[in-house]
Amino acid sequence: MKLFQPLSLLLVPALLMAAGPVHYGKPFTVKEETKISDILANPEKFAGKTVKVRGAVTNVCAERGCFLNLKGDKKFQELQFKVDDGVIVFPADALGKVAVAEGIISVKVITEQEQKDMCPIEAKALNRKFDPAKIKGPMKVVRLDGLGADLVN
Amino acid sequence: MGWALISSTRPPRPLPPLTHIPWRRWNRALHRDIGYLAAGLTVLYAVSGLAINHMADWNPNYRVVQVWRDVGPLPGELSEEDLTRMLLQRLKVTEQPRASFQPDQDTLDVFMKQGKYSVDLPTGRVLYEAVQPRPVLHAFNRLHINAPKQAWTYLADLYALGLLTLGITGLFILRGPNGITGRGAWLTGIGCAVPLLYWLWWAFLR
Repeated sequence: MKLFQPLSLLLVPALLMAAGPVHYGKPFTVKEETKISDILANPEKFAGKTVKVRGAVTNVCAERGCFLNLKGDKKFQELQFKVDDGVIVFPADALGKVAVAEGIISVKVITEQEQKDMCPIEAKALNRKFDPAKIKGPMKVVRLDGLGADLVN
Repeated sequence: MGWALISSTRPPRPLPPLTHIPWRRWNRALHRDIGYLAAGLTVLYAVSGLAINHMADWNPNYRVVQVWRDVGPLPGELSEEDLTRMLLQRLKVTEQPRASFQPDQDTLDVFMKQGKYSVDLPTGRVLYEAVQPRPVLHAFNRLHINAPKQAWTYLADLYALGLLTLGITGLFILRGPNGITGRGAWLTGIGCAVPLLYWLWWAFLR
């Protein structure tokens, strides 16, 4: 039995850690959380700044685990947390969990033509409806270029 | 006395010159032992490499189970919480959801521990999607793309150095017409030319 004593010393902290949040990527540097709705209401104010946000995971990259979509605090709002392939690999079972994520806000404008090229592919991948008539003019895409994230069980 | 007799009948063998290193024997031993050590990881990287290479055609990590249900139209003017409750009641699901989300006025996503219900509110068509990791491939692929980071980074570096050593030592295993000065030179040349020519075509001539 003595053989298993060191093992239990290792297992107990491991089980306790498993109950807490799992961290991915770099350690957090920002203390205060910013509301996703505040960022989406005025993205230019936050562009290039490092922010920390919180939200339920509404989508995960199932191929490479390279992005998470986070639910905003207002209706229909979500913010994508994106990393380069392989930098962080999120598990597919993150879906529906709460994530606290830190990154740099980037704002990009996508032309009407670019949307018409991209949206059908994305809609098909996400199993969502696509109506080309709804595309009117350029679209502003706000994204969180990911640095680190906690997935809360 | 006896020792003197024996020593006198067997003259001592001349020592090999200090400059003589049995490098071909060492090369073979190195190739053999690194080959044994690298066999398992080579299978892992090769199998997951094949799987990941064809990512456009399939999801090598997860098996997606899809089931369609029909629960009848749901009133879009209800709150997200009420819609979620009503949907789960109609589906006769008692499990508590992790979260819910309305990406637009007509859609509601409800996230459960094992999967997601996505409902088209006006029609009541529900798609249940469960993502299940493929038993062995998922683990292989996670290691291939260095998902664990930390110590695995260094183990993978060691493996890459091992492969490099295997490649170099492999060139000098055989002597003669099948060695690197004969047939081996041609085959090595072809092996190097394939990526080089492909790159030249892809980068400049396409």
